[in-house]
Amino acid sequence: MAERVVAIINQKGGVGKTTTSTNLTHALAKAGKKVTVIDLDPQGHLAVSFGVVNPKRPGLDEIMLGDADVSNMLVPVRENLQLIVAGPRLQEIEQLSQGGAQRGDLLRKALHENLNDQDFVFIDCPPSSGVLVANALFAADEILIPMTSDFLALQGLSHMMGTIKRFEKVLKKKYKMSLVMSRYVTTRRISKEVLKKMLKYFPNQVLSTVIRETALLAECPSFGKTILDYRPSSRSARDFRSLAQDFLEGRVM
Amino acid sequence: MAEKNDKDLIGFDPLAWMNESEAETTSEEETVVTSAQPSVSDTTETVSSESLSVQQATESVSESEAPNDEGGKLTLDATLNIQNVSHLYEQVLVLLEGQDKIEIDASSVIAIDTATLQLLIVLKQSAVKLGKEIVFDFPSDKFIDSAELLGLAEMLEIDQAAAGFF
Repeated sequence: MAERVVAIINQKGGVGKTTTSTNLTHALAKAGKKVTVIDLDPQGHLAVSFGVVNPKRPGLDEIMLGDADVSNMLVPVRENLQLIVAGPRLQEIEQLSQGGAQRGDLLRKALHENLNDQDFVFIDCPPSSGVLVANALFAADEILIPMTSDFLALQGLSHMMGTIKRFEKVLKKKYKMSLVMSRYVTTRRISKEVLKKMLKYFPNQVLSTVIRETALLAECPSFGKTILDYRPSSRSARDFRSLAQDFLEGRVM
Repeated sequence: MAEKNDKDLIGFDPLAWMNESEAETTSEEETVVTSAQPSVSDTTETVSSESLSVQQATESVSESEAPNDEGGKLTLDATLNIQNVSHLYEQVLVLLEGQDKIEIDASSVIAIDTATLQLLIVLKQSAVKLGKEIVFDFPSDKFIDSAELLGLAEMLEIDQAAAGFF
């Protein structure tokens, strides 16, 4: 397995999971790291963000259902960066009601003994708390939580921390956890207050760089481009390059 | 607008339970339950300590829903998620006020998320602290599966034949 397996997770939607997955992984790849990013969201938005638009293309669905190997499902999307798309049957796994413990362990088993040459495997999780997210938590050793700076995101984070702590107890492991403030609106006072809460409850875990909300970040997925492709000299591109360094060096607020 | 600058923009702190759970050095089981419920740690306390916000919520529901008419029974909706968890919470709180035992019919549940399961855990523990009892009647397969999936079936005391998720 890769050196670090990181689940990008937040059960709340719209907090920037896929934006972070797309641009952070590309920034890490550009920094010379070998990265595989897995789309665990049946919506398949991660693939689209990288310009892979065939909705019928099989990927993680076939891997988790035992019909394909990881090595056959890797899509090179940028230099040093490869993608495993969600695939049209991934939603079936979310609906699985049979299989007991095996349901949650499909991804970890699939990754075992694979991707050994990779520095990082990132898992872009869906905004839910079902079987798919359980698979991510089984497979990952690290968790990266994108957080928006609003009250409902705090509420969602609270909910999710309960889930994570429960998994830690049951799986008898402690996740290395980082948070990134995304979609950050610097001019809002609530942004600063939420950030203050984050620093209170997650000391030394909030990555130094905040990802500011910009129109460019909303635009680039429609072109199948990361922000580093689309506007490499923009402040958003700088944010993600800086975030990648935070991630590599453990820089926190 | 100017006078608002001195006010906190975040009223209820949903993460407060995290510090509380870390501070707790009680039995392991209690720690699990505390960590199993995020935002509702506060709500657990409110059952016993009657903090203002939940007391108000309870009162408002009491006025409108006449809890004793339920006779300590509650039927869960088919779909339970974070959107309706606060309403469910209020319903059970009201029942707890007036009943020593609450029977929750979970036979219709076809979808339940972790927020709701966490709430049910908290309520069950709250009931124990109050010397009251919450039991789940006829849990559907989906309810059992979901509880097992998150390792909560035992805590919820759901009678089950199948092996747990973990």
